[in-house]
Amino acid sequence: MTDKVAIGLFEYDVKNGLGLIGYNVDEHEHAHIVVETSKCNDCSHMMCVWGCPAQCYNFRDQGLEEMKFQYEDCVECGTCFIMCDQGAVSWNHPRGGFGITYTYG
Amino acid sequence: MGEDTDFDVIIIGCGMAGMACAAQLLKEGVEGDRILVVDRGEPIGGKNMSGGVLWGRELDDLADIFPNWEMDNPGIERYINHKKIGFLSEDDAFIIEGKFASWDGIGGTKEPSMRTGWSVLRGRTDAWFAEKLEEAGVFIMPGIKIDQLHIEDLDHTSYDPRDLTTPSEDSGKGNAQKWRIDNQPEIAGKVRNGRICGIVQDGEVMTSQVVVIAEGSNSVLTRSYGFDSMIHAQDRHGMLLGVKEVIHLGEDVINSRFGCFAGDEERPPSGLAMEGALAIYDNMAEKAWEDYPETAGLVPRAGGWLYTNRDTLSIGVVIQLDSLPQGIHTYDMLAAYKAHSAIAPLLEGGEVVEYGGHLVPEYGLDRMPTKLVRDGAVVIGDAAGLVYSNGAVIQGQNYSIHSGKLAGKVIAKCVASGNCNSSTLGQYKKDLDASYVMRDLKRFKTTAKFLSDDANYTWVPKFMGTMFNRVVREIGEEKITVEKQAFRLRKEMRRADKKTRKGMGLLNLLRLGRMGRKL
Repeated sequence: MTDKVAIGLFEYDVKNGLGLIGYNVDEHEHAHIVVETSKCNDCSHMMCVWGCPAQCYNFRDQGLEEMKFQYEDCVECGTCFIMCDQGAVSWNHPRGGFGITYTYG
Repeated sequence: MGEDTDFDVIIIGCGMAGMACAAQLLKEGVEGDRILVVDRGEPIGGKNMSGGVLWGRELDDLADIFPNWEMDNPGIERYINHKKIGFLSEDDAFIIEGKFASWDGIGGTKEPSMRTGWSVLRGRTDAWFAEKLEEAGVFIMPGIKIDQLHIEDLDHTSYDPRDLTTPSEDSGKGNAQKWRIDNQPEIAGKVRNGRICGIVQDGEVMTSQVVVIAEGSNSVLTRSYGFDSMIHAQDRHGMLLGVKEVIHLGEDVINSRFGCFAGDEERPPSGLAMEGALAIYDNMAEKAWEDYPETAGLVPRAGGWLYTNRDTLSIGVVIQLDSLPQGIHTYDMLAAYKAHSAIAPLLEGGEVVEYGGHLVPEYGLDRMPTKLVRDGAVVIGDAAGLVYSNGAVIQGQNYSIHSGKLAGKVIAKCVASGNCNSSTLGQYKKDLDASYVMRDLKRFKTTAKFLSDDANYTWVPKFMGTMFNRVVREIGEEKITVEKQAFRLRKEMRRADKKTRKGMGLLNLLRLGRMGRKL
């Protein structure tokens, strides 16, 4: 680890990180974020994909033709709501008792 | 006195602002059983996250309710007596370091002797605050999310609260300002301007004289209920994303690695707070620009931090969202920071125990929510965008506590007099304006501009690192004065890169210098 850092590109193992957070995932019908993915087809920037720290948004960056959104890993930060200017994201907090629980915070 | 409402005050959110407001209300004589605090976290604190250092002694005023908070609160980890400010470029790190005996708070120093900042883990701090409030008689309801406020003369069943946050059919195409509720203008008007007189929870109305919105940085209620416009809230400028890890190292390792005092009966252990500007994303950015030419040239402006907790480290990067180019995932920026040669050795042997992300509403003055007060309601803390940073310090939790206390004082008076209109509650805004919180934000208006200048994330850290390297090294080259070295390096850097050429132009240097003086 103390070796000279290779200058270049870094990838964070985000799934491993997310595995450390406590979740109580709500049912699909109560998903706290709803994305109208048909609107994403015309979006040129996919800033939700780049911004989201939980990789909930997967699209052309993952070689997908269509936006694939999943709310289950969401850390409830709200970045996608800020980033989306296509009117595709309906954002809310999860219902009480659902979603993430930080133990450290 | 207001017995016709279920509560005198309902506070939404039990973070720093909400708990301070509740504690202040108690201090002002409002009965505990007339105060309800709801929070969507269960347990309280479970949704809360900060960088996190709490600066300032705001909690001292609330010692009646939070006695011995510094030692007894399990989330107050270490007091800070060691501060570093870094400029990291790919090869070098230029780090300014201060270790202050006066921050130990044990006397015998020329500067005022007091402990002034504490690393905190909010999952723990906030649970303790809630426990103390509960002991003082306040109703605390964890695990409750409020998505609807009770508006006078508006049947809460006449609209679906989801319509407040769902874009309408014809919204989009770069314009997300229409929401479903806008299709019912009469209701929308009441929602955004009517008198707020309680909350709706699971279809049931709970009334109060005042509702305090202390929802934090991502406040759906302030957007939905017209304190802030949606389009305003959706602006990326001034919105930062913090991506953070908590890394377990063990108390002994931290004490020896960071030279910390181990703590005793009277003092918590001591610790380090380090923040820095990051110019380490060149290669990531270049690759991204190649893949996504639409944002070619956009440099991610980010800072990194590292704080010592009792047996863990809090480490992360905070990214200005308007500077994120397409092609870079925010979490990969954390990986690059962790791998930097100045940071990686500090983490060695550590085990990551938590990961998370949180928005920081560093709006600055002109981007705060348009209203902080309405008939029957006030907004405090992060929900009001009370965050200040000049690069050397970043503060928000202390402002949150202060705004909660100011609101508590005014609300107690309003509740006692039975008049909770925006005119009387408005005293809170006046007090806030007169307080150091808003005075700080006003005085340092230009810092936001300075902090969002590309220079601080490109050539400035590189210049400082390389300069320091060349001035102090001995590789058998002829020595030249610092001044000459600086001119030479500037010339080299300008020659190497077109953007840097412009950035290091004399006019731009002058401009930066003028802003820098006002930090």
